[in-house]
Amino acid sequence: MSALPRSRRYQIAVPLALFIVVLAWWHPYAVIEGVQRAGLYAAIALPMALILGIVGIVNLAHGDFLMLGAYLAYWFAVHTQGDPLVAILPAALGLFLLGAVVYRATIKHVIGSSELSQLLLTFGLAIVLQQTATLLWTSQPVSINTEYTSTSATIGSLTFGTYGFVYVAAAVIEFAGLTFFLQRTRLGQAASASGQNPVGARIVGINVDRVYLIVFSISLALAGAVGVLFLTRHAVFPLVGGGLTFKSFCLAAMAGLGNLRGILWCSLILGLAESLVSTSKEYAGWADLIFFVAIVAVILVQSHRRQVT
Amino acid sequence: MAFPLYAGVYLQHTATIILTYLCLALSWDMLVRTGQISFGVAGFFGIGAYSAALTALNLKLDPLLSIAVGGLAAMAAALVLGLTTLQLRGMYFAITTLALTEIFRVIVRNLPGLTGGPEGTVLPSAIFDGDPTKTYWLLLAIALVTIAISEAFQRTRVYFAITSIRHDEMVARSSGLDIFKYAVFVFAVTSAIQGIVGASFAQQYAFVSPEGTFDIDFTLLPIAMCLLGGMHSTLGPIIGALVLGSVAEYLKLQLPYGHLLVYGAVITLVILLMPQGVAGKMKEQFVREQ
Repeated sequence: MSALPRSRRYQIAVPLALFIVVLAWWHPYAVIEGVQRAGLYAAIALPMALILGIVGIVNLAHGDFLMLGAYLAYWFAVHTQGDPLVAILPAALGLFLLGAVVYRATIKHVIGSSELSQLLLTFGLAIVLQQTATLLWTSQPVSINTEYTSTSATIGSLTFGTYGFVYVAAAVIEFAGLTFFLQRTRLGQAASASGQNPVGARIVGINVDRVYLIVFSISLALAGAVGVLFLTRHAVFPLVGGGLTFKSFCLAAMAGLGNLRGILWCSLILGLAESLVSTSKEYAGWADLIFFVAIVAVILVQSHRRQVT
Repeated sequence: MAFPLYAGVYLQHTATIILTYLCLALSWDMLVRTGQISFGVAGFFGIGAYSAALTALNLKLDPLLSIAVGGLAAMAAALVLGLTTLQLRGMYFAITTLALTEIFRVIVRNLPGLTGGPEGTVLPSAIFDGDPTKTYWLLLAIALVTIAISEAFQRTRVYFAITSIRHDEMVARSSGLDIFKYAVFVFAVTSAIQGIVGASFAQQYAFVSPEGTFDIDFTLLPIAMCLLGGMHSTLGPIIGALVLGSVAEYLKLQLPYGHLLVYGAVITLVILLMPQGVAGKMKEQFVREQ
């Protein structure tokens, strides 16, 4: 989990801070919306980056597991007339168990085989999840309205929704929790070791397979919990996960595979860029291209760097 | 192959659809042979479809010529994308192509003046005035060319180049092979095929729309077909397309909202249980018995 060297960090942080200040002065709503989006994207991307960094697998079904968590909360809220947020723990637990089953039944068997098989397997899983959801709940988008999601605050002449900052809080808590887990707990240290060198980890007596299983399940549990949060403010439909998987991978690739802290910064950059485009009147429809442009740029930079060194 | 002369319209139509998927499956497999995986088949299919429809409509191009334009447009898009993203292969390339279909859909939706926007565009008439027999011959011709290209890739220098990239990139690189060049070349050729197939599809139905033309079916079915039949050969995708293509029509009628589940399950199960595909497994069995 290496971060950038301190000097490089300033090279990114200072222009970013300047950019935000200028933007906040010129277009304050874009900044607020951008920060909230960044929180959501980071919260979604962190669990995917965890699997990528430790198990070394791109989980193309990541967003679809999140969708499953959101539907669990929807189902819960409709049947009990209760607050969907109450479903966070049950959804996380359910997805944790599902993660263990999915790992045992599928992922375990492609660890160590070609990247092609891994990609095809998780792609197949994504399709199965999407289509099962379509069969169970139809392709109609569903959403839950609760009162607190429309709370707002006023600063001077500026009135804005505050609920979106829940995602920022979620991302920060998730990051802090994962960092604590990976650095301070025995299991987390074993996971970091398995991520860095699976053979070495096995030699010193770590049960790498079990570590992978737990990491995979934790990642799915987090995706499920974030899915519940996602439902409180966004419409959910069976195909909602595909785009989120792609965005998560973009962030993980931009931050450098396995770098969790970088994801927070990268999601801030892309979240701001996206909200800037989508709050402009003429070009709002083009906001979906931001992440694609970003991933192509990342690939160009990385392949250039590889040729230079 | 001459059976449509005696078959009814429905059978001709089904055969045409199977040939469409056969071309997509085979072209997808050709790229897989280099070790690269593309989830963007529907994207190039859609580019071809839109280019053909728009040039036929706005420039009054002959339908057959517009199909060629569709292939060229898809090839051009693949060249741009390949030259930028194939430097880093593997998962980076795969995921970029995964987003590709959606990206093209966004572009099409946001240019209503040119593409008709979310509603799509209707052509005044279908190719050959909607004659199903002639359409069948057209697709058969495209399929035969695709098979010929696939066989050419299997028998010429290209074969050694691409299989060595797949098996051991380091060895391929150190024997002086320009991996990047070959990967871009194969990506451009296979995308051109997908564009041509998409263009004929658009001409056949005289209609293009963001949802219907960039349909995930055109990515999902070919992959499932290749896996079922067995990857890395010409025969495997053909067998897979014939088997799954025949079942697909039936499934679509029986399970209008869940037929794609079957293909997802096929992909997952084949990877887990028999990575060499059903045809590969049978071949193995056959060789063992001999």
